[in-house]
Order: sequence, then structure tokens, then C-alpha cells
Amino acid sequence: MRKLLAVLGLIFASLMVVAIADRPLPRAELTYIDIVDFKTLDPQRMSYMQDNRLCYAIYEGLVRWDNFSDDFHVEPALARSWDISPDDLVYTFHLEPTAKWSNGEPVTANDFAYAWQRIMVPDNATDYTASIFFRIKGAEDYFEWRAAQLDEYRARPALERTQVAAEQLRSESNDRYRSTVGIEPVDDHTLRVTLALPTPYFLDLLAFSSTYPVHPPTVEKWVRVDADTGAIRQEHAWTKPPLIVTNGPYVVQSWRFKREMRLKANPHYWNPSVVRSKTVSILPIESENTSVLAFKTGAADWHSDTDVEYIADMLEQKKAGLREDIHPVKTFGTYFWGFNCTPRLTDGRPNPFHDARVRRAFALAIDKQALVRTVKRSGEEPTNVLVPEGTIAGFTSPKGLSYDLVRAREELANAGWTGKNAEGVPTNASGEAFPAVEMLVTNVQFHRDAGLVMGRMIEEAFGIKTKLVVKETKAYADDLDRRDYMMARAGWYGDYGDPTTFLLLHKTGDGNNDRGYSNPKFDAMLDAADREADPEKRMRILEEAERFTMEEELPILPLWRYNHYYLFHPPTKADGTPNPGGLKGWSPSPRLVQYIWKLEVVR
Amino acid sequence: MIGLIARRLLALPIILLVIYTVTFVLAWALPGSAVVNDEGRKPPQAVIDAMERQYNLDDPYRFYTQYLSNATGFRWVTETLKGADGDPPRHIFNFGPCLRYEDWTVNELVAGALPVSMVLGFSAIFIALIIGLTAGVAGALRPNSLIDLGTLTIALVGISLPPFVIGTFLLLVFPVWLGIGRVGSWGSLSDIIMPALTLSLPFAAYIARLTRLGMIETLGADYIRTARAKGLPAHVVILKHALKNAFLPVLSYLGPAAAYAMTGSFVVEQVFDVPGLGQHFVNAVRNKDLFIIMGVTLIYSSLLILFNLVVDVMYRWVDPRIE
Repeated sequence: MRKLLAVLGLIFASLMVVAIADRPLPRAELTYIDIVDFKTLDPQRMSYMQDNRLCYAIYEGLVRWDNFSDDFHVEPALARSWDISPDDLVYTFHLEPTAKWSNGEPVTANDFAYAWQRIMVPDNATDYTASIFFRIKGAEDYFEWRAAQLDEYRARPALERTQVAAEQLRSESNDRYRSTVGIEPVDDHTLRVTLALPTPYFLDLLAFSSTYPVHPPTVEKWVRVDADTGAIRQEHAWTKPPLIVTNGPYVVQSWRFKREMRLKANPHYWNPSVVRSKTVSILPIESENTSVLAFKTGAADWHSDTDVEYIADMLEQKKAGLREDIHPVKTFGTYFWGFNCTPRLTDGRPNPFHDARVRRAFALAIDKQALVRTVKRSGEEPTNVLVPEGTIAGFTSPKGLSYDLVRAREELANAGWTGKNAEGVPTNASGEAFPAVEMLVTNVQFHRDAGLVMGRMIEEAFGIKTKLVVKETKAYADDLDRRDYMMARAGWYGDYGDPTTFLLLHKTGDGNNDRGYSNPKFDAMLDAADREADPEKRMRILEEAERFTMEEELPILPLWRYNHYYLFHPPTKADGTPNPGGLKGWSPSPRLVQYIWKLEVVR
Repeated sequence: MIGLIARRLLALPIILLVIYTVTFVLAWALPGSAVVNDEGRKPPQAVIDAMERQYNLDDPYRFYTQYLSNATGFRWVTETLKGADGDPPRHIFNFGPCLRYEDWTVNELVAGALPVSMVLGFSAIFIALIIGLTAGVAGALRPNSLIDLGTLTIALVGISLPPFVIGTFLLLVFPVWLGIGRVGSWGSLSDIIMPALTLSLPFAAYIARLTRLGMIETLGADYIRTARAKGLPAHVVILKHALKNAFLPVLSYLGPAAAYAMTGSFVVEQVFDVPGLGQHFVNAVRNKDLFIIMGVTLIYSSLLILFNLVVDVMYRWVDPRIE
């Protein structure tokens, strides 16, 4: 017995040592909750909202958004000014001459050229390579050229694929980048960018994290060239403190995975007066319920993304004056369901949704008001269009198709589904019944509910049978890829302030066109908009493209505009006096852009 | 004893190879792409191809052999011996990159999460022992009494209530209503108690039942009667003479229980936001993050085998009758 107690005592003692050695840091000036930890601190690889928000805190790009303005326009950041050529193709940026990296070295135009090249090659390219960087002259050619160069290298005999040969390959690639791509560091503080096509929203793209600079010597230490494939391999160890070097208002002090990230004001930042909170703590809490409880107990000043099942109840309480900490924001995103638009289903049967009239019929048969009320209960705004209304200056949304059962049945009949079989299911001229519609969702409550409610509406409108298919996310994505579905839940958040950030979804062959939708007329409209030099006329073309897809073609069935919920205490009390613990400096913008350095807790 | 340890250690690589192979086959068969983020934007096909090539995800055979060579330290040994012109791997056992959390390697992830899981798991077992032994002994002293019935009922509740319910209940009662402790943080002693307690309850219940049965049986034995007849005080008879024997079945349960306490904590980790290893088991499979799946499974299997070995050794040490 004594022996045993000794062993247990030893285990207990070592536990205590581990636990006590692991003390948390003192409270930061601003603490906020994210729903996941950061995927990456490499700006070129970022795509998640949390990562982007961090990017805007620790790095600084050429420009940024004025996130309090209604039109969400761009304002100077590291570029203090810029000139645009009369043909709107050449942008010359004049950088802040005193800007420094967090190690004291100056930020130069070359740092941008280096950063942008990183993801213009297939070795390291990311989700945003095409949509952002291929607007630049020579970029797409350079990408293709590098892909071909790597293919050629891999085809060489093994003996010729040496480290030296691979380095040689990279050096050729660097030469090609400098000589053919329209990115030119004129001098240390001047960057000239030449575009392939006029891009009225180009400055908007430059406020996005993918275009932010990195410190070349820091990153380059973790780059190697793979002798076997010739490809550049980027390792990511440089993103962890103390190695990481950044140029923004903050530097990363510590990063403990899934526990906490600490930021502190960057002593070398050229414009330190804008930084409101000198220390920031970011807590990643994945369980939605726990994160709300953590906020409730005062563990954080701000909850950046609340998504609990009792949101509707929280909003009710707010209405009743019982709480004031929940803040809904209408976002730059749309929840919709997609139709499989390909001619045949994967099992070889003809696909009824290949016919736009059937898609229109289904869209007309959904009572979105009732759907949102039953499924969400939290005040989401039903929509008949993809591009969120009123979010893009100069773009007027079409009406789209609203709930209209009579027209819905007409559309279905026009599509040839005129008969009825014994069970009341519509049949076509050859007597075939309309197939049972498989509605594909992932295992999330509101997707399942939306599927069930819409299924009921479709059955009641047409007598068509529906079936809910629930899958894990990976399996669902796989089904979408193989077009092995009929209707599926989907959704989209725009990246930049131009309708194309949404409309490209319908383009033939686009990587995100999971509907397999293809219409030469629509593609031609996008091409025409790309070639149109007059921004006004361009918007008219894009408005027509949106109308065409949302009133005639319906590759997707738009349902509602996403809401986003922040939790924080308001900065002032009802009587207008400061509210200690409240949060100042947050923006209600639909783009959900918050600049951490603007945020401040009222003392 | 030394023979036992040697035999088990020799079998370790073979068992691990079998586990590795089975895990690989299952993980490879998961639907979907390992490199594409399903809820985000899709990169161009050339990029997806390049990524799959980089991680050997385009060729199961190459992935299987390369990963094995990296994870077992084989590659480290050969490259160090060769003094290759490239750079030898930084870790002897290299479990690869995380596909979902790109900035981290599986080695870093495990190095951060494993100590947390061990602290949580062992604390849970420790609490379970205290609760379980106390309740078990108390119940056995007066079988079918109110105390016995009470502890049995609590044990039943501990086994049947899901940790999600108990955990949320604890969070609501202590930090939210009473203001004791914190939510969603990990580091101080008080942060450990609630998750450890939640995790410990099923184990405590089981230990209580094992102890109670063992004690009832032992208390009826001749040598206990002798001890009592000698006039020894009751607590000496119970704690020194009876519990010693009644504890043996509990001890043999502790090995698997400790391992399970460390793996089976996914829900507890979620509810209390504990940065442990359990979440990676579930999330990695959801994300088809092959490197994490393989790495975490290998490390965990090794630990499990070692725990069982330790318990077997302790068993012999405590009870020399066992050969």
C-alpha cells in the first residue's frame, strides 16, 4: 500500500509542477475571442476572416479601407499617395519613407514585389492567386510559364535533377518575373504596377491581406528548392515569435496554439499614435457555447463571431431591454442553395434541373419569408439576389424572383412536366415521373431545417417528392465536386467591393462553380465587363449579368443575407455617459472588417 | 520482470506497424480532398496538383513509405549518416506538417497538446481514485444501507450522464453564477479542476463499484476476522488489511482507464476549451488531415502500450504473488 501511495504521490506532485509552471499572463488592454485559432500568419496564404483581421493588425499594406465609411472606400496606408495613368492601367504608389519592419529595417517597394511573386507561381499559389494577381499584366502568363517549366523539369532524367539544376530553375523564374510581370520597384519608395485590364476595384484588392508585404530575408531563410521536383518549398516556422518580422501596428509577442495569441504595439511602427490598445490578447475558443459563457464571465471584451443556437433568444432579450451586448450586422454574404445544372445526373438519368424553367419554378415556389422565420428566427433578411443589396456603390440590384405559386406551376408545366401519376408526382410527355429531389446538406441544424422546410414547400407546390441527404463536410464537398447531387446548401461571402466577387461563381469552369453551370451568354457578359473601360457602363453590364442569372437562369436559389453577431458591451450607457468595459472603435460594416488597433475598451 | 519488459518492447514496433498500416488504409479511404478547404475558395487545379505532389498525396505507396521513414526516424538516421548536402530533418521523429493549421507541424502540435492531455487525464484519474475508493469503501462497510444506495445512485449518474451535460452544468454553476473559476482558459490549477472532475466521473463510478465488490468479498475473509479478533482498530483493519487486497482489481483497471482518460476527452476539451490532444483525433479525421491522423495515432498507440506495460509492472510490484 505504501509503495502505491508513493507512486500516486509522485504522479500528483509532477502534475502540480506542470500546472504551476503554466501560469497565464496578466490581462491585456484588449482581449477578444475568435472561434478558431489562426490558420496561418503568412499574409499571402490567408483566407479566413480571423487571419485577415490579424493581418490588418500586424502587417500594413499599400492601402486600407475606411471601415466607417458608407461606401467602404480605400484610404492611404503604407502608400501615402498614388498616381493612376489616364488609361487606368498603370498605378504608381509612393510609399511612406520612414516605414520600418519590426526589426528596424526599412520597408521598401521590393518587399511588395517579393511578396507578390511568392503566390504567382504554382509552387505556392493560393485561393486568391487568380482573382487578385491575374489582374496584373503578365501575371497569368508567368504562372503558366512556371507550371510548364516545372513540368519540363520533372520529365528530366533523375540524374539531371540536382540541387544546382533546381536552383538554376528558380533563378530563371526570378528573371522572368522581373522582366515580364507588371510589378516594378522603381526605387525603394516607389512601386509601379501595370494591369492587364482596367480594374476599377484594384485599390480595393490592395487592401486585402494577400497583397501585404513580407520581410524577404526572414521568409527566405525558410525557403528551399526541392531537387526532385524543382519546386519552391516554403516552410512556415518563420511565422512564430520570436522569428516573425512584421510592419504593422502590432508585433506578435507569443502564440500558443489553441490557447492564446499576444500582440503588443510595434515599437518601430511609423504611425504609433493610431494604436489605441497597446497589448492585445486573442483567445481561440472553438465551442460556441463555451465562448459565449467566457464572454459572459468577463474573460474577454469582445466576441468576434457568435453563433449559438440561442441567438434568437438573445435578440429577444435585447428587444425587451434585458441585454445590450449582442450586435447583429448584415454581412456581405448570401446564403443560397445550388442546383446541379449539368445535363445528366451521375447515375446517367437526365437531370431535370438542367432546364432553367425548372430552376425558376423551384425558386418561385419557396416562401423565403416563412423559411427564414421558421429556420433562423433571428431576423435574417430574405433575398432574391446573390450580390447583397446596397453593399456596392453604383450597383443596383435587380428584383429577382419572389414567391409566386401560380407562376411556379406555369414554369414547371412549360418545362414539359404537365401530367400527374397515381401518386400525384408530375410527369413529362413520355410519362416519366419527376425524380425525387435529393437535397444535400452538411450536419448543421439550420441547413437540415432549411432542407426540410423547402422540401415541404416543393412537395406542396408541385407534388414532387424530396429527400434530405445529410453528409459530413468532406463527403458533401466531394459530392459537389462530382456533381453527385440535385440541390445542395451553399453560400458565399464577397472578398472585394465589386459585383464580380459574386458573379464569377457562375462562370463556366470557375473553381467555385459547384453547380456546373455554363452559359456562353453569361460568360460573354463578364468578358464584356472586363474589356469595358468606362466604369459606369461596366456596372450596367454587371447589373444585367446579375439580373440574367437571378431572374432567368437561377443556377442558384438565393435565400437570405447572412447576419453576423458580435458580443460586446456598448461604449456608452443609455444616458450617454461612458460605460466602463464597453468597446469603442468597432465598425458595423457588412464587410466585417475590424481594425484591431482602432479598438479600445472604455476604462 | 525484465523478461516481460523486453518481450513487450520487442513487440512494440510490430504492433505499431500494424496500427500504422490499418490507420493509413482507413484514412486514405476518407472521402474528399486533403488539401482543399471545403468551406472556402478553391485554388486553381495546377495548385491543387502541386500541393498533392508536395505532400505525396498523389501516390499512396510513396506516402506510406515516406511517412513511415520520416516518423520512425529512419530518414533522420540515413541522412545524418550520409551527411547529405541537403538539410537533414530537424526532428528525429518527424510526423509531418498540419494541412489545416499550416504554420504548425504535427510535432509542435503534439508537443503542445500532449502535456495538457496528460495533466487532464491523470488529474481525472486521481480524482476518480479519491471519489471511487471513498464511495466504494463507505458502501461496502454497510451493504444495502442508505450510504451504499446513495453512492451506487451517484455512480449510476456518473456513468450515464454525458460529460457535455455535466460540464455545461459545472460551467453554469461555478464561473457563471457563483463567479468561481474561469471559462475557456487553461493554465492555473483552478482551470484544471472542473474539466478533470467532469472527465473523472465515469471512472470514479466504475472504481467505486470495483472497490465495493472487492471490499465486501474481502471483509468476509478469515484473515479479516483474525485481525478484528486481535483487537486491531477498525480503520487499520479496513484501510491496511482489507483495502490492500480489494484494490488489486482497481489497479488493473487503471492502465486502460488512464489511456482512455487521455484520449476520451474530446467532449470535455470542447466544453472547457482545453487545448489537449483529444480534439485532434476528431478534427483531423473531419478535415482528412492525414499527417495529424497518422502522427497522433502513432504517438497515442505507443503511449497506450507503454501504459499497459507500466501497470503490469506495478501490479507485480504491489502483489508479488503474480508471476
